[in-house]
Amino acid sequence: MIRKHNRRAAKAAYSVALGVALLLGLSAAAAPAAPQQSTPIIVGAKNFPEQYILGQLYRQALVAAGFKVGYKENIGSTELIDTALKSRQITLYPEYTGVMLSVTFKRKSLPKTPQATYSLAKQLYERRGQTLLARTPFQDRDVIAVTRATAKRYNLKTLSDLKRVPNLSIAGFPEWNTRWRGQIGRQYGVKGFKFVPLAGISAYQLLDQGDVLAADVFTTDPPLLGSKYVQLRDPKNMFGFQHVAPVVDQRLVQQYGTRFTSTINKVTRLLTVKAMQAMNKAVIVDQRPAARVADAFLKANGLKKK
Amino acid sequence: MSGGLLLAQGEPIIPDFGEGSDCVVENRFFCPDWVRDNWAGVIQPALLQHVKLVVIAVAIGFVLSFAAALVAHRYRLVEAPFTAFSAVVYTIPSLALFQLLVPVTGLTVTTVEIALVGYTLLILFRNTLEGLRSVPPDVLEAARGMGYTRGQTLWRVELPLAVPAMFAGLRVAVVSTIALATVAALVIPYGLGYPIFLALREAFKTEIVVAGGLAVLMALVADALLVAAQRALTPWASARRLA
Repeated sequence: MIRKHNRRAAKAAYSVALGVALLLGLSAAAAPAAPQQSTPIIVGAKNFPEQYILGQLYRQALVAAGFKVGYKENIGSTELIDTALKSRQITLYPEYTGVMLSVTFKRKSLPKTPQATYSLAKQLYERRGQTLLARTPFQDRDVIAVTRATAKRYNLKTLSDLKRVPNLSIAGFPEWNTRWRGQIGRQYGVKGFKFVPLAGISAYQLLDQGDVLAADVFTTDPPLLGSKYVQLRDPKNMFGFQHVAPVVDQRLVQQYGTRFTSTINKVTRLLTVKAMQAMNKAVIVDQRPAARVADAFLKANGLKKK
Repeated sequence: MSGGLLLAQGEPIIPDFGEGSDCVVENRFFCPDWVRDNWAGVIQPALLQHVKLVVIAVAIGFVLSFAAALVAHRYRLVEAPFTAFSAVVYTIPSLALFQLLVPVTGLTVTTVEIALVGYTLLILFRNTLEGLRSVPPDVLEAARGMGYTRGQTLWRVELPLAVPAMFAGLRVAVVSTIALATVAALVIPYGLGYPIFLALREAFKTEIVVAGGLAVLMALVADALLVAAQRALTPWASARRLA
């Protein structure tokens, strides 16, 4: 719903709106200060199924541990949820470590190990009043998948094997092409392929119909649960690392200490790729409500009373 | 805790989450069983929230624009600044506006309503003012000749004659707000946009069809109601049509 406009009008619009926002902000600041009160726990989640599940898992585990918890889900973009975090509309939300660096902190190059990615993100958050709790065993990152038949036919195991495929076509979200075409050429020598942007049809459907040979998908997608597709290895870690770590307001850690952090870490520890794929399948394929899926998972693993 | 990775202590237990119907799992175009199961819990509340979003936005937008148009009709100087203000608001992309409002008004309905009201101002203001100005000079002269005061002329002559233009504006504002209100779901899980966004992410067809279809239906019904209201308010127009 983004309107077309020229640059000048946009600039004028932004400055006027910013002015209004500033005025409102100042008048709010001028109001008498509220007495010192504790920072509430408000769990936030972005706008896709995996996030609803993660949000519900943390929310329900905290409630089960006796905390009072607010919950806001379906928050638009990474930028928007970060704004919400900085202005304390939410005080905890699960984010992907690679996204933290590339989107929130606008880093051009990403570290070479999961630990370095996590540590750098944590350091950057701590400079502005938040911190990261432990990260998940699973990661939800880009992976190129092909059907088992294709993998067998061309003997495909890693990304560099794609070099040998004639008339290669790869499907992905529209921004994939700008972001990764150059990289996959430089790092794995895969060049001159046809890119098919995804629009309202699933990548797996395109693979099944033979419309494309390979597709960029995400590691926690439910279709990857079975053995129908082969995920090509990325030994150079071109796609970076995308483990999930809860970003929390540092005040929460100071206020509630280890009773709070250990409750969250116990949930985080359980989140393997298999667990996440199974929960994603329940929500995406079987259309089970995320709240009920999270409830069943926590109960099965003893983090919530049956 | 600073270590980051926690070693998994054995694999987690993955319970049975229950399965969806064949229609749902195969993601066919329309699954009546899903709609039946989710009407009360998902669809109906979203529809009512959507109606509320639109009614509040257009009502506030209309009151503001109507007042501004009356002032601008009396004092021409006011027209340019208000037009400029509402045009500037109109050009701000909704996502950018939310980004600016969230630190101030939070992840709330208020944030969404401010944006929606903002987008109605230009349409409603322009149409109301144009309606008031389109009254033929000889009609105004006749009113003056009959001894009407300025206020009487406004309420008895100018405003009734401006009704068709005002309704034209209202119809555009209502229909565009119904469409625009779906982006409310970027800020809060509220309105028909919420199931639409959910379903788009999951490429789940039934939910897109139902929620999208209801938004279209709502626009058609609202438009029909406005046309009927306009006819009721301007009986002379239909009398002329019949003549």
